[in-house]
Amino acid sequence: MSHDQIQNLGPWAEAAVPASLSDRKEAQNRLFPILAEKFGATLDPLDRWGLTAVVAKERLRETIFFLRDDPQWSFEVLVDITAVDYLQWPGHEGARFAVVYNLRSQSHVAHRMRVKVWADEEDLDVPSIHDIWKIANWQERETWDQYGIRFVGHPNLKRLLNHHEFVGHPLRKDYPAQRRQKLSMNDPMVDQLEARLRTLGYQLLDSVPESSPMVEDVLKGGR
Amino acid sequence: MTTATQGQTGSQAQGPATHQDAHAGNSGFLATNIDALINWGRSNSLWPYPYATACCGIEFMSAASSRFDLARFASEFFRFTPRSADLLLVMGTITYKQAPILRRIWEQMAEPKWVIAVGACACSGGFYDCYCTVPGIDEIVPVDVYIAGCPPRPEGYMEALMLLQEKIKDESYMEQRRQGLHQKVYIG
Amino acid sequence: MKVLSPDGEKLDLFTVNIGPSHPATHGALRSFVALDGEEIIASVGEIGYLHRGFEKMVERGTFNQVLPYTDRLNYCSAIMNNVGFCKAAESMFEAEIPERATTLRVLLCELTRVIDHLVCVAAAMNDCGAQTAYFYFYNPREVVYAIWEKLSGARLTNSFSRIGGLYRDTYEGFEDDVKNAIAECEHGLLEGLSMIEHNRIFIDRTRDVGKISAEQALTWGWTGPCLRASGVNRDLRKDEPYFGYETYDFETVIGTTGDTYDRLICRVYESLESLKICRQALARLKPGPVNSDDPRLRLPPHEATYHDMEALIANFKLVYEGIRPPAGEHFDSIEAVNGELGFFIVSDGSGKPYKIKVRPPCLTQYAAFHEVIEGGMISDAIISLSSINIIAGELDR
Repeated sequence: MSHDQIQNLGPWAEAAVPASLSDRKEAQNRLFPILAEKFGATLDPLDRWGLTAVVAKERLRETIFFLRDDPQWSFEVLVDITAVDYLQWPGHEGARFAVVYNLRSQSHVAHRMRVKVWADEEDLDVPSIHDIWKIANWQERETWDQYGIRFVGHPNLKRLLNHHEFVGHPLRKDYPAQRRQKLSMNDPMVDQLEARLRTLGYQLLDSVPESSPMVEDVLKGGR
Repeated sequence: MTTATQGQTGSQAQGPATHQDAHAGNSGFLATNIDALINWGRSNSLWPYPYATACCGIEFMSAASSRFDLARFASEFFRFTPRSADLLLVMGTITYKQAPILRRIWEQMAEPKWVIAVGACACSGGFYDCYCTVPGIDEIVPVDVYIAGCPPRPEGYMEALMLLQEKIKDESYMEQRRQGLHQKVYIG
Repeated sequence: MKVLSPDGEKLDLFTVNIGPSHPATHGALRSFVALDGEEIIASVGEIGYLHRGFEKMVERGTFNQVLPYTDRLNYCSAIMNNVGFCKAAESMFEAEIPERATTLRVLLCELTRVIDHLVCVAAAMNDCGAQTAYFYFYNPREVVYAIWEKLSGARLTNSFSRIGGLYRDTYEGFEDDVKNAIAECEHGLLEGLSMIEHNRIFIDRTRDVGKISAEQALTWGWTGPCLRASGVNRDLRKDEPYFGYETYDFETVIGTTGDTYDRLICRVYESLESLKICRQALARLKPGPVNSDDPRLRLPPHEATYHDMEALIANFKLVYEGIRPPAGEHFDSIEAVNGELGFFIVSDGSGKPYKIKVRPPCLTQYAAFHEVIEGGMISDAIISLSSINIIAGELDR
């Protein structure tokens, strides 16, 4: 095949030694005492099958930086961010929401773990990690959209899956599944594009509210 | 088993102008033959706009491919622009985010136009009885034929096209002209 | 809109929506781009046009009732999603699955991978104007669809796997059908490959288009063939093997530049490797049960309920409440067609799932898409989009 002839395979092209479940458990057993000592992490009893380290919101960013940058652990990949609403959990006491960060390592295939942060209904602010991994931008937007967790420092905390006129956070346990909300007009997204242009170093010389004449008509109350 | 059923076109408030209306209005030999000719032309050259959002779109690709071949109905080239298509095939779940766009595309299509709701999600919302899905596209656009199935087999598409052809043969262009229904203008 | 570029040039940009209703956007995706002529200066993306509330819907039924919803995630490879979910649920029970079931799962997953790659490359060919190649790549799928139909009753959305095994054993003549399907797929792939691999027009359209480096891909969380095309050797089947993948002989296909050409050709070669696995799996199929007899997962044999009290109680509880994984939170994933498809299952010990979050591989790919296309032209954007194989059902859930 044609790729055989190409010699410049990069540094990531090495095949890894396969990791089994016991390798993963062994790595997690080594990791947890380090996290407990450095960041005050506790074990989440709900995760019976792997490692979920619970840290305080204030120490989230330093924990994540350590996990990503320490060469012994190097969790380079953010797999997923999600939240859980414990409103209807039997016998639950404490904060209502938890934000779960799922991490994985590229250099050490046996390394997988989750980091959990509790967020109370009164204090839904969680530090954003969009600058640590680029994909966190959209995953945090989705968590905001579905659960209402506010990520402090996020550049564009807008809804991702539901439409922009949606009110409420549908995956919360107190949102009825069949409550539908109609959309009158799609999001023009001009402001997001302008923000993107500014990030790329372009200066906007004129600022038109909308670029499509029909949309202008609708906004002025026409049609 | 998939079945296709005909629905009511809601765009014409008085109901479709049919041959019966034409005969009632005493149109005569020439008019009925023009009707027949026009209906023959329209039903045998339905150019679809495949509005594929979800899984039903893949079965549409199968229906359009060599084995099941929708081209035999003269639905050969899929016109991906609403202005040159006359059949809107809505395939897949329509969410409330998508709904204004579907409506806009339908309005941009020129008359004559027909709509086929393909699959359980387009007909009734499917098994997604949820905060985000529209329970059937007939809330948004008037539908001519419904195809059941999740997703419907390619044979379902063919049955729907044949049913639509029968429905078109029942229309009367001359009667529509007489009632002024052939020119509809949509703003937006 | 009038802008001043970083090097002091005054530009008049034209903004246009690509999607959400567009022939080349493979479902409902939207990119809002600012163009200077044909070149894309800036773009932002929007998704959610097919958000169907998977997570909210699965909270209503039992764990096995989640399976039809998983079908419709990546609907081009429905069985893979079923198997992924079943794997995650079974690992919560730490249950043993019989060998015939795992071998069949491997066989069906790899065949599913082949047909999904076929549709991706076929659609990509259609998008760059090569309609003949579309048919050459697309037609072998019909042979596999005939098998799915005989096996599970449905062509596209099969719901074939169950937690604890499979829906049912294979029909008579299954092995011959699969052999024929493997031959057809291989023929289609090789024929299509011969049309495009060294084709000057295809290379001009796709080389150095939509490039992404390995480091960028990792930061965006890419997985699957798109990541491998950027030169990263990461395949869950090799790195964290499951279902006995370590005993099969196949290679990981890696690209070098991470452009569209690499992504598309990697998919074709990966399909050929998958067909190798299919042949090996077919050779290993031995008669045996396809369902685990773990009482937590399967109904006991009906005759036993007439004389055995435990069997009767187990039957009653399983029918009334569904299977009940131990309370807790667990994440497990498989190497699906587009990458790592993961399920984060939260169970409160009752038969109803408390929460099931899907980790879609497409989301990471599409999140980076707006950066990938900036600097290219519109037609480059279209073909880049086809090469990353976005399936809206999985992206929006």
